[in-house]
Amino acid sequence: MELMTAVAVIMVKVVLITVILFIVPVPLTWLERKIAGHIQQRMGPMRVGWHGLLQPLADGLKLLTKEDNIPDQSDRVLFKIAPFVALVPPFMVFVAVPFGDSVSILGYETKPYLSDMNVGLLYILAVAGLEIYGVIFGGWASNSKYALLGSLRTCAQLISYEVPMGFAVIGVIMLSQSMNLSDIVDAQEPLWFIVYQPLGFFIFFIAGLAEAQRIPFDLAEAEGDLGAGYHTEYSGMRFSFFMISEYLVMLTISVLCVLLFFGGWHGVLIPLPAPIWFALKVGFFIYLFMWFRFTFPRYRYDQLMSIGWKVLVPLSILNILITGIFVY
Amino acid sequence: MYNENALNKISRDHRWIGVTFFLDLINGLSLTFKYMFSRSVTMQYPDREKWVPYPRHRGHHVLRRDENGENKCVACELCAKICPCNCITVVPYEDENGKRRPLVYDVDMARCLYCGLCEDSCPEEAIALGSVFEYSSYTSEELVVGRDSLLEMDGKTEQPGSVVKARYLPSAQSTVEAQESSGYDWWRFIHRKD
Ligand code: SF4
Ligand code: SF4
Repeated sequence: MELMTAVAVIMVKVVLITVILFIVPVPLTWLERKIAGHIQQRMGPMRVGWHGLLQPLADGLKLLTKEDNIPDQSDRVLFKIAPFVALVPPFMVFVAVPFGDSVSILGYETKPYLSDMNVGLLYILAVAGLEIYGVIFGGWASNSKYALLGSLRTCAQLISYEVPMGFAVIGVIMLSQSMNLSDIVDAQEPLWFIVYQPLGFFIFFIAGLAEAQRIPFDLAEAEGDLGAGYHTEYSGMRFSFFMISEYLVMLTISVLCVLLFFGGWHGVLIPLPAPIWFALKVGFFIYLFMWFRFTFPRYRYDQLMSIGWKVLVPLSILNILITGIFVY
Repeated sequence: MYNENALNKISRDHRWIGVTFFLDLINGLSLTFKYMFSRSVTMQYPDREKWVPYPRHRGHHVLRRDENGENKCVACELCAKICPCNCITVVPYEDENGKRRPLVYDVDMARCLYCGLCEDSCPEEAIALGSVFEYSSYTSEELVVGRDSLLEMDGKTEQPGSVVKARYLPSAQSTVEAQESSGYDWWRFIHRKD
């Protein structure tokens, strides 16, 4: 009986998280277009539903009914599976992401995450790195120069920026003496890590922008020079899978920023329920991502590389050094 | 306020400070943030709002009437002569009061370039270019407009250069009906650096 309940609870959580993750990109596309519009003194979508709220549904329907075009002479198998390869890792990341303290529903004590791994952070970084395979497959299989160049750029970019990202996280691990995400959040109960680790956060955030392939580091899909990068040749549902995965990576980076540096679900001053605080903070970071997108131009490729290797990596090592001295 | 010279204000020797703390990026972010909460300039044409043109706007032609409600045009054909596109056809006749009036007064909207020369040349101030600008059609024949419809067109605007609430009337002759006489000044919300 114990086992049955445990399995049932896990199943419910899995379904819940999957559904939520599939739904979250929908309002995010709307939000992005709205923010783009208002920054440019436009209105964004206005016609479908109240202030265009139903626009993502219309877009989804449109994508569903579009022709699923597979280019001639492409690698058909790789081309078909690439969107799924890109889509799965962002979902897998959320296995180890805690959303709040333990809650009791109907007298059953449960925690709002799937797995309380003691190497949660390592797992997340590792699985997030897998997302690159979808991009490489998509770019290679399309048999198109734009897609190939886009995916090559993405590879180089993701590999370069994973290094400073991992290093930036080490400072947090040193402070909290744990790789378990809920332990890290609990260690921030008195004071958020952003106070101890401003440099670490800075590096993590910039590397996160690059990992999520957002402006100013969106060379992978630089519209001006590459069409749409690795998903140039994709259409219909497969294209939307790439889009969902991109939004989910953005969500992952925001969630990690909040968990590692901004005290997770612990609030300040105003006592709000933990999930609401969590959602507010994540929302703030997502807003930041979008705000950046419509403010900054894109870096050149060589600038991107030199920022990664000549600035962020030395800075992150310095950060580890300083943190080490202070912790010691 | 947005300050494009924040970097220049710091002396050349200390420019690295600005670069280190991304002063230029922060400048850009504050600018876009300000714009984010400024009013959008979008005119929700055609189903919510409509632009009322200035009196100088050169739109659909209109034939004016005098105080007795009679066509002002005396069919002198000056407008037809001066028209660079040859798109005005005037055929005169004598009406029951012995006055010279146009029997036919056709303007080919499809050929007209809206130069306004006909309006300038008219000795009776009969022909004018009005404020109507919604008269697209599927055939160019429909765009040849005759005397009687020209007499019925709306003239110049009184309350110009504003955006009014409007309603879209979907029909064969799709038009947008203005629902108030005076709206807001669109230019009010345009950011200009002074
Ligand atoms: S506006 Fe110019 S082109 Fe048009 S009818 Fe008058 S004179 Fe001819
Ligand atoms: S509109 Fe004016 S210029 Fe043209 S025929 Fe009539 S009176 Fe003459």
